[in-house]
Amino acid sequence: MAQYVLLFLEQEGWKDQSKEAKAPAYATIGKWWEDLSQKGILKGGGELQPMRTATTVRRVNGTMKVTEGPFIESKEHVGGFGMIEVPDLDAAIRVAKSWPGGNVEVRPIVVH
Amino acid sequence: MAKYAFLFLDDGVDYQAAPTPEQQKVYADIFKWFETNGDKITDGGAELQPTRTATTIRKTTGKTIVVDGPFIEAKESVGGFSILELPNKEAAVALAKTWPGHGIEIRRIVEESER
Repeated sequence: MAQYVLLFLEQEGWKDQSKEAKAPAYATIGKWWEDLSQKGILKGGGELQPMRTATTVRRVNGTMKVTEGPFIESKEHVGGFGMIEVPDLDAAIRVAKSWPGGNVEVRPIVVH
Repeated sequence: MAKYAFLFLDDGVDYQAAPTPEQQKVYADIFKWFETNGDKITDGGAELQPTRTATTIRKTTGKTIVVDGPFIEAKESVGGFSILELPNKEAAVALAKTWPGHGIEIRRIVEESER
C-alpha cells in the first residue's frame, strides 16, 4: 500500500457564498468523505479558510519575513486536503476522479 | 484556541535527492522543530514528494482529464503540512517564524460549525 495526499483545489470566492448555496456541495462531499473513511481509504484531512485569509512567513536573506496573503496569487488554490492509503497511483487517481468537488492534485507522501 | 494548517513551503530544493551538508542540517533542525512543538500538533499531516511527482485531475465541462504535474508551476510549492492548535493568529505567526525551513503559509482550518 502507498500513501497519497489529495490537494482539493478551489476557485477563490467559493467559500464566500452563503451557507445555503454551499449546502448541496457540502452534503455530497460529506457523503464521499464518510464512505471512504468507512472503507479505510481516507485517513484524515482538513478544510482551509479562503486564500485571502492566508499569512505567509518566509526566509529572506536569513530572516523570517511576514507577509499577508498566500505564497502564490492564483485563481485556483488549495482549499483542503485528504490523506489516502491505496495500492498505487492508478488507484489514487481513481479516488481523485470520484471527488465530488473540483480539481485535485495528487502527491505521493514521503515515508520516513 | 483555533486550528491552523501550516503549509510548509519548498523553495525548489530536492531534499530527497543527494542533499548538501547544509541541507541535511536544515532537515535535522526540522525534525527537532517537530519534537519541540509536538504538544501543539493535532495532526502531523504529511511530507509530500516533489511537485515533479504530482498528477492533477481536472474536471472541465463534464470531462475528467488527468495530467502529469502540479496544478500550478512555480518556484515555491507546498512540500508538506501539519495542523496545529494555537491561541490565535499572532501565536501562529510567532511559531512559524521559528521554522528552520524556507517558509510557511498559515491558513486557519474551517470548523464543522462554519460550514
